[in-house]
Amino acid sequence: MSRYYYYLILINMVANVIASVPAILLHNHKNGSVSAMILAVVAGTILITIYTRFFIAFPGITLPDLLKKTTSKWFYNPFIFFLALMWFVAGLITLATFSFLLIRFLTPEMPLFQISLIIILSVIFGCLMRTERVLYTIELILLIVFPLILYIFFKAYSNESLEWDFVKEAALYVNQFPNIHSFSSCFFLFLGVVNLFIFNRFFTKKQNFNWKHITLIGFISTLNLFTTYFIPIGFNGFENIDELVYPWITTSDSLRMEFFMIERLLFVFLLFYLGIAFLSILIHWHVSFEFLKFVFNLEKIKFKGFKIGKYIPIPFFIGASLLLIGKLNEYQLLRYSNFFYDTLILFFPLLIILFIFIKRRMKYAKQEKQN
Amino acid sequence: MPSKKSKTKLFILVIVPLITLLTGCEFMDIDKDVFVSMIGIDKSDEEDKPYKITLKLYVPTSSFKQSPEPQYTYITKSGETLSEAIRILETYSDKELEFGHAKLIVIGEDLLKEHKASEVMDFLLRRPDIQMISWIAAGRPSAEEIIKMVPQGENAAYPALFNYFDDIGNESQYIVTTYLFDFRRRMVEEGIDPILPIIEKNTSHFKINKSLVLVDKKEPHELPTLYTGIFNILSMNIQVADLIIKEEDGEGEAFIAKIDSMNSKHKVIVKNNNNIALEIEVRLTGYIAESKHPLKMKNLSYYNKLLEKVAKEKLTEFFSEMTSVGIDPIGFGIDYKSRTLHNKRMSSEEWKEAYKNAEIKIIIHPKLKSTGAIQ
Repeated sequence: MSRYYYYLILINMVANVIASVPAILLHNHKNGSVSAMILAVVAGTILITIYTRFFIAFPGITLPDLLKKTTSKWFYNPFIFFLALMWFVAGLITLATFSFLLIRFLTPEMPLFQISLIIILSVIFGCLMRTERVLYTIELILLIVFPLILYIFFKAYSNESLEWDFVKEAALYVNQFPNIHSFSSCFFLFLGVVNLFIFNRFFTKKQNFNWKHITLIGFISTLNLFTTYFIPIGFNGFENIDELVYPWITTSDSLRMEFFMIERLLFVFLLFYLGIAFLSILIHWHVSFEFLKFVFNLEKIKFKGFKIGKYIPIPFFIGASLLLIGKLNEYQLLRYSNFFYDTLILFFPLLIILFIFIKRRMKYAKQEKQN
Repeated sequence: MPSKKSKTKLFILVIVPLITLLTGCEFMDIDKDVFVSMIGIDKSDEEDKPYKITLKLYVPTSSFKQSPEPQYTYITKSGETLSEAIRILETYSDKELEFGHAKLIVIGEDLLKEHKASEVMDFLLRRPDIQMISWIAAGRPSAEEIIKMVPQGENAAYPALFNYFDDIGNESQYIVTTYLFDFRRRMVEEGIDPILPIIEKNTSHFKINKSLVLVDKKEPHELPTLYTGIFNILSMNIQVADLIIKEEDGEGEAFIAKIDSMNSKHKVIVKNNNNIALEIEVRLTGYIAESKHPLKMKNLSYYNKLLEKVAKEKLTEFFSEMTSVGIDPIGFGIDYKSRTLHNKRMSSEEWKEAYKNAEIKIIIHPKLKSTGAIQ
């Protein structure tokens, strides 16, 4: 597979280490989080395989194009508009979480409005780029940030204060029925692949995808989930871990670098994750923009000869996200994102039925062409 | 496609509003901040204002040459809650108090005796600017006196007390180092008890060689110097330790084993009927640093046996005190929890009872490699 494909999957996994996923998992630490995680790895890997196989069959064609070819207008237009909304919400969750984080830890004196506006503006600038340029941006930022994040994970694993007894204690809660909320939030980590709906445009060459790639993805995701869940427990204990609002922030604040310019690792961690969160919002909103472009034929809207179409969604994006960030508090954010993740575990597996339908129609169309 | 000119116009149209965001530094400049170096929390004498906070503030100087001596100011205030006291303290200083660089929190012994540690901890954790990697210690007789003391030979920018804890300066075997996050998890978790170093003061210097184990609803238990050292060996906090080895009759061998590498494992063995055994395995590697009598190389195995015997005695003493009082700073409780499924565990009362009656098994692997540079 092309390396860009892995970036899409990886960013969704890593970005959520700091967002609400660990908070949801750790909240249910005594109600079946561990078994839900194991289940999610299996289900998620299967989902990734099916989705990737489907899009490999149509190199370079996006989902809206496929739908246009195979379904009628009354179906695909509302459907894609719904998808656009969904991707907008996915980006918004990351944005809201990160704005709250920044105001709590990095710039307590700055208004929340201003923090989120700055992030939104830089993200929107990226969203307007062409798809392949978005992927190049992702690669650039990942190259800088990712090794350092791996280094922080290494620091955490090699720390003497990491108490493995707590980790073992938490792992022993495996004999419980999987918790639905934990499962859905873990499942969300695997949904980076659905960005192929638009990003498939970039993969014009026929890709190769076999069990080696599947194993690699399964391995990376297991490692990522393990780190997400067990490292905060190893540092903060098991019994009352659910009282931490930002488990990973507290954990990274428990790491100390004696011989570095910055002793407190928290700020380094926050800055790196700002990069990852930026990428995550960028991907989601880029996909959302592209969907909107397709639904409303934005490319064709002209005003005095200028193509202004693609700028039309911007005020809506800015307005809606600022309004929601202003209204939400941390608890509501956690609950609503939990609800959002819950709906996704139904929605994306159901989409597979649509895929089968598309595949049959496309085959039929191909045969007709040949005759 | 818009022409080049209109593109430039658009660019200016976007950039100019963005420039308004860059309105210079709205945040506090560094010269408007004063940095707190230590926080001391005490019990006050007033009835309605139980907490007394003392802050040690760095006095800013323009250059090191101007003031080679350390300079601090101190502010103290009592309050009904910690935040209230801090709010009043903010009016004592012309600058913003910045807690992000406070590396040491000293809690007065009296406050710990009244079981106020969890309330203090709540305040420390809820503030995002206080570091989770700051050290926490108990002050004797009070946190205020410890904080206000500047020992002889202190450097200008780095308070001497930090050197005791930061693993780079002092590496004594009798100093327990507890980070705030470690303190928190020991407080909230059942099966491991919080332990704090006790800072005492002399006329011109500090003395840190004892520790305090906090117990729920009971008087905190003080560990004397020897036990503090044993705790450090068992928790592998230290790199080097000395052990005094003496034969019982005054005539026999008496030497000091310098242990430069140690490894300790502990586990709980569950027998039937809620009976448990604590198994501790310690590997001590080192050489002999001082002796009353001349030593012989060929007798090393005999010296090893002596070391094993003495270490076993000391550890048994240590653990019988721990189990009889019912304190568990090593963490056998969480070791037990990490071995049994949650639905098959004994309740915490049963565990406490079992811990008190636990059988203690100690295995020592002595490895004295040499008698030093002379025989």
